[in-house]
Amino acid sequence: MTRKMFFLLAAVLLLACPIFAQTTGGGGSASLNLPAAYIAMGLASGLCGLGQGRATASAAEAMARNPGAQAAIRFALILGLVLIESLALYTLVITFVAKQA
Amino acid sequence: MQEHEVDLWFTKLFNDFLAAPANAVLNAIGKPAADPAHPWPNWFAMEVLVVLIIMLLFGYLKARLSADRPGKLQLTFEAIYQFIAGQAHDAVEHGSKQYVPFFGALFIFILFMNLIGVIPGFESPTMTPAVPCALAVCVFLYYHFMGFRELGPGKYLLHFAGPVWWLAPIMIPIELISHLARPLSLTIRLFANMFAGEKVTLTFLSLTYLLIPAVFMGLHVFVAFLQAFIFMLLAMIYVGGAVAHEH
Repeated sequence: MTRKMFFLLAAVLLLACPIFAQTTGGGGSASLNLPAAYIAMGLASGLCGLGQGRATASAAEAMARNPGAQAAIRFALILGLVLIESLALYTLVITFVAKQA
Repeated sequence: MQEHEVDLWFTKLFNDFLAAPANAVLNAIGKPAADPAHPWPNWFAMEVLVVLIIMLLFGYLKARLSADRPGKLQLTFEAIYQFIAGQAHDAVEHGSKQYVPFFGALFIFILFMNLIGVIPGFESPTMTPAVPCALAVCVFLYYHFMGFRELGPGKYLLHFAGPVWWLAPIMIPIELISHLARPLSLTIRLFANMFAGEKVTLTFLSLTYLLIPAVFMGLHVFVAFLQAFIFMLLAMIYVGGAVAHEH
């Protein structure tokens, strides 16, 4: 199953080869800045989504197991979510820097 | 090459009547404005407006303070104070009461600055990188100063070396980098959240004009509250770490 996924991923990534044929236009002449920024943002958002999903899942389970500790768990959840969110936002800032350069 | 930004109506008041003093000050410190007709940037005028609003609000509150018959405003702010003092007590073990004014001012200021951008015709000062950077530098200087004051300069600098002396050569660079990363992360977190909130709302506004942009604006308001709280909470944690006595 993982082998199939791996080959599928490789095929999809290699499908983007025509991008090397482009000369000008986009963020800079023949630079890969803008496509790289798009991929980076997508990757960062996806991984942060995974992280936040895990945090929310364990927070929900903990609140179900121990309803008395709801306030503390909710606080830890919000704190964790915000800190993970800020990682995706750092990538967003880099995207804007890449767009300028 | 950036065109001069469009002035909000409030900034226009400043630029029309107070352009000369602003230009004098900027020229005196060696940073002349890019466009002498518009020395006041939007974010500065908005910051001044937020300060005026806060001063008026708290002035009105102080006039209405009463121990026997507290009004709704007093009860609201008492609840806010209890919340902040409680959080400070959790984060800073001993003597949290003396730091509560700073944390409270930070929270109220950032909250009002974040929320003023929701009103059409005004812009959040925290949307420009300069304002969160200034706040983060204030927090950085504050917690180091409090660490020096509480522990004394020798002991405070010594705690960067870590728990045992032979770890010091590796601990000191790590601690240095992590302490320098703190204002950077505070800045980017606040700036990026506010900037992204506005951009997302504008993007959806350009796509559809019915309910969806309002939903994202609601999310932006929630994020505004959350980011102000997180900024204050992280400031508390840093102060707590700086003044902690080794037991």
